[in-house]
Order: sequence, then C-alpha cells, then structure tokens
Amino acid sequence: MEFAGLAAGIAVGFGVLGPGLGIGILTAKSSEAIGRNPDAAGAVRTNMILGAALAEGLGILSFVLGILLWTKIG
Amino acid sequence: MELLFPKGFRFPDIPNNFALLGEPIFQIGGFSYTNAHFTMLLVIAILSSLAFAATRNMKLQPSGLQNFMELLVQGLADFVVEIGGQKALRYLPLLGTLFLFIVFSNWLSVVPFVGQVTWLHSPTADYHITFAMAFVTWVAYQVEGFRHLKLSYLKRWFNLSGFKDGPAIGGIFVAIGFIELFSEIFRMLTLTLRLWGNVIGGEIMLVVMSALLFVPGFALPFVGLEIFIGLVQGLVFMLLALMYFMFAIESHDETHEEGSHTDTDRVADLEQHPEAVAA
Repeated sequence: MEFAGLAAGIAVGFGVLGPGLGIGILTAKSSEAIGRNPDAAGAVRTNMILGAALAEGLGILSFVLGILLWTKIG
Repeated sequence: MELLFPKGFRFPDIPNNFALLGEPIFQIGGFSYTNAHFTMLLVIAILSSLAFAATRNMKLQPSGLQNFMELLVQGLADFVVEIGGQKALRYLPLLGTLFLFIVFSNWLSVVPFVGQVTWLHSPTADYHITFAMAFVTWVAYQVEGFRHLKLSYLKRWFNLSGFKDGPAIGGIFVAIGFIELFSEIFRMLTLTLRLWGNVIGGEIMLVVMSALLFVPGFALPFVGLEIFIGLVQGLVFMLLALMYFMFAIESHDETHEEGSHTDTDRVADLEQHPEAVAA
C-alpha cells in the first residue's frame, strides 16, 4: 500500500480534470446565452446549475475514491 | 524572511486525520448513536423552534421573523413552480424541508468546533445521513411515479413496445430500459456522494488551508466559499430531487402530445385548473 497516496493523487487529479473542463464550457456557454437573451436568464441559470451539479458529481466520485485510497495510507 | 520565519523556514504540519464520519457516542443494541445524530437533533430542534416561533402569532401584515419565513417559503414555492409547473407544488413540503435542513447543516459545518469537538459533527458530513435523505427522496419519487402512471410506470424500464417495429428497434428500447433501471440506482448513489463529498471536502479544505496559511483568519475567504457551496449544494439537491419527481410522473406514451389536454405540465392560468393547487 505504499503507492496509495500516489494513486489517490492521480485519481483525484485526473478525475477532476473532466468535470472542470465541462463546467468551464457550461458556464461559458450559459454566460453567452444570457448575454444574447437576458430575458431567459432564470431558465438558463437553473439549467446551468443542474448541469454543473451533474458534472460535478463525477468529480466528487473521484474525490471519494481518493479518500478511500487515502485511508489506506499508514 | 527573517521576520516571518525567525527559526528558518519549515513547511507546516498538515493535519491528515479527519473525521470522515460521525463518531459513536454510545451504543444501543447493535446500533451506535453518533455525534452526527446528535447534531441532527440540534438542527431539527432549531429549525422547528424557528418555524414554531414564526407561526405562533401570525398577523395579516407580517413583520420580523414571520416576514422572513414567508419570504423563504414563497421563494422556495416560486422556484419549484418555475421549474416544474403548478403540479410540482405538491412536492414542496418534502423538497423545502430537505433544502432547509441541508443548507443549515452545510453552514453548520464551517462553524468553528463543529466537526472538531466530540459532540458536534455536521449531519451532512456523514454519508449515512445524506444516504438517508437520498433514499427518502428516491422512495418518494418512485411512489409518485407509480401513483401517477400506475403500472405503466414500469414501461420505462421494461419496454417491449418497440418490437412491433422490428427486432432492432425493440432491442434498442430494451437496452435503454436497462440503462434507465441502472441509472435509478446511480441517482441515489450520486445524490448521496455529491452532498457528502462536497461538505467533507470543504471541511478538509478549511483545516488544510488554516494549517498552510499560518496566520489565523487568513482562511476566512475559504469560509465564504464554503458558505456559498453549502447554499448551492442545498439548491442542487432540491433541484435534482424535483427533476427526478418530474421525470417520474411524466408519461412516455407516444399519444402524449405537447399542449394537449392530457399535458398538465403547463397550466396557462390557475382558473382553468383549480384542483392543481395542492400542498
């Protein structure tokens, strides 16, 4: 189990990469949408939060995996 | 550098022993009563007494606490109606309670000593409690699905109607049903882990940042971030639960058309649909 710490770091690092990119694209696109049509800001914001939550869930899964590995250390 | 580190620079000790779960206080039979349970009771007591104090002496022209609570409830109701339409108001009691409980617990997790002393541990920072909330939501929306669509609710998981258009379409429908069935379980799992991971991750980040930044109080911006995340996570839990309710009660029939009289999603105005005002 001497590599558990390394494994946790890699798991969380790569696992957060995807959701990070996804949420970035999501926020950029919804800012654009709100800029184009400010009247729809409420609906766009709700959808944005929903999508961000779904994308974030994957990052959290890798975080949980990291914690599981981390408790194996020592 | 001399002034900051008189004994030479030394990287600070970062704590690596965090309470990922509540710790048992005492045992009853095979079940342990943890400090998360105790804090949950505390949260319930505070919220109930707030609700009681706000509604004990209600006036037509509200002021003070009653005004604030009315703002809160009206805001939640407006939010739910905006997302799910009038028929979503039926689920407001469950969703609103979940929202208030989660947000209060999340904000409790950034309060000093909560999560560090024996008797206090934020309820949402223990995955048993977030799982319980996710499970209650899950059971509730399955029940609602069966209540609305009767046995045709099962059609979204075991859909054989595609076979009349040939085996390829039928196979695809069956595969989609299979994926749907599994996603039901994953919904419960991700609801649990999202909330727990965010709250426990926030707690860990606060402790680590306080240790890294040497000076007490430098980690305060992260407290602000955590307060924001706590609010957003409460909102997200509520929003996702509402979405699951909406997905559960909407029919997948091909005869179902947008804007037809069977489409109760969008009620133009309340007078046409007096019995829709539930809750």
